Amino acid sequence: MLNYVWISLLLIGIFTAVGRDINDEITNTYRNGVPISSRFEITHQRVSVHPSYEGEIVIPAASFNQFYNVTSTSSDIRHPATLTTLSSGRQKLELTISENTPDFWKEMAKAAGGKEKLEALVSSYNVSSGAIVFTMEKISFVKIKAVTKAAIDFADTAVTISLGLIGVMALWLGIMKVGEAAGLLEMLTRLMTPVTRQLFPDVPSNHPAVAAMIMNIAANMFGLNNAATPMGLKAMEELNKLNPKAGTATNAMCTFLVVNTAGLTLIPATAIAIRAGLGSADPGIIIGTSIFGAGCATVAGLISVKLLQRLPKYKKEMEVTKEEETNG
Amino acid sequence: MAEIFRSIVNVISAVAIPTFILVFLGWGLIKKVKVYEVFVEGAKDGFTTAVKIIPYLVAMLFAIGVFRASGAMDVVVAVLSPVTNLIGMPAEVLPLGLLRPLSGSGSMGLMTELMKTNGPDSFIGVLASTMFGSSETTFYILAVYFGSVGIKNTRHALPAGLIADLFGMLGAVFIVRMLFSV
Repeated sequence: MLNYVWISLLLIGIFTAVGRDINDEITNTYRNGVPISSRFEITHQRVSVHPSYEGEIVIPAASFNQFYNVTSTSSDIRHPATLTTLSSGRQKLELTISENTPDFWKEMAKAAGGKEKLEALVSSYNVSSGAIVFTMEKISFVKIKAVTKAAIDFADTAVTISLGLIGVMALWLGIMKVGEAAGLLEMLTRLMTPVTRQLFPDVPSNHPAVAAMIMNIAANMFGLNNAATPMGLKAMEELNKLNPKAGTATNAMCTFLVVNTAGLTLIPATAIAIRAGLGSADPGIIIGTSIFGAGCATVAGLISVKLLQRLPKYKKEMEVTKEEETNG
Repeated sequence: MAEIFRSIVNVISAVAIPTFILVFLGWGLIKKVKVYEVFVEGAKDGFTTAVKIIPYLVAMLFAIGVFRASGAMDVVVAVLSPVTNLIGMPAEVLPLGLLRPLSGSGSMGLMTELMKTNGPDSFIGVLASTMFGSSETTFYILAVYFGSVGIKNTRHALPAGLIADLFGMLGAVFIVRMLFSV
């Protein structure tokens, strides 16, 4: 299933991007080549051979929305801009993107090459009245460019995340190894046998995987994410030692994974912190509701993982052929 | 009651890791384990495990990145919103429900945005944060956990994980609606 989901994400993504860009091109969403009339209020003037001015472009919200056919802007636009005269004698307007830039312009600037500014050619400007008519630079292939950027950026992010795990991984694997050598893991495993025998019938009840899984689940409960992942990976490693077919997930692995993705935790710390930051009167109100939600997820996940593993399709994938057996 | 529970869990969370380190290494010392040597031996695997995950995580995150950047989410939301309206899930939180299994940082941003516009204590604010707290980033966990041991055929893990996510979201909508009695 992962194969299909994965390729669907990519195909849907790319086709949607192409479709939207074609649509933008046809309807001229970004008003390429259409001049805007507005006012330019000078705040600062620099005198040289070619005079340049700093000031603000003023566009009433209604005319901005009408021009771009959007509804997102509610207040009138006063955007800082620089007016320069090119050596050809034409005048150029430069808008530096900031936090206060309307979203629509921000999006346009991103598509223009992510250079944090938008350029426009001025077709007429009357210094005394401030009336200005300008045409924004051509914006096209917005979504395709965004998709390209995302593909490269996220590949980078994946490596950053993976490498970022090295430190905590090493720390916890080291501690776990000491626990293993001291026989602590074995004790923990024996303690939890009644529970784990139900959940992971294929795992021998004295196997070190059990201890690692228990500790992973406990760490998740208490929101110790830094400890939970290394322990979870340790558990996977141990479970994989019981795997008759390398590269294929066993029933126990799938069950363990689902327990993790359901994400049952006693304190949803991230959500609470953000709520508190936004001035909630009771940030902790979601503790109970989150435990309920994640509880539903855990129960539904466990039931479905146990039912799905009986399907002939998934059973067959676990069968070891003679050839694979000899290859080890 | 909730306050007591919260402070108990907070205390446990705070002392858990130091206690854990102390018990494990202390027990090792009592059992005459050469703690330093064994620690280093185990820690060696940290690097290889982390590096092993890279190809799996690249494959997963780049596909999710492409999907999100294309704006395909809006299309999916438009298709699904009539269904979710029927079960009383506000249209605003649907993108959060869809994004939650795909991207941890993305859904966190969306949750923050929803609480900023609607207020953290509004129905939508509470629902959004509950939905965020009711599930984990399924695709990320799948890539990292299975990647670390070279699992390529994930069998029924993904469907089961997504069913769990779905029920997590439904459970969140149910309980928040009930408590807010809307």
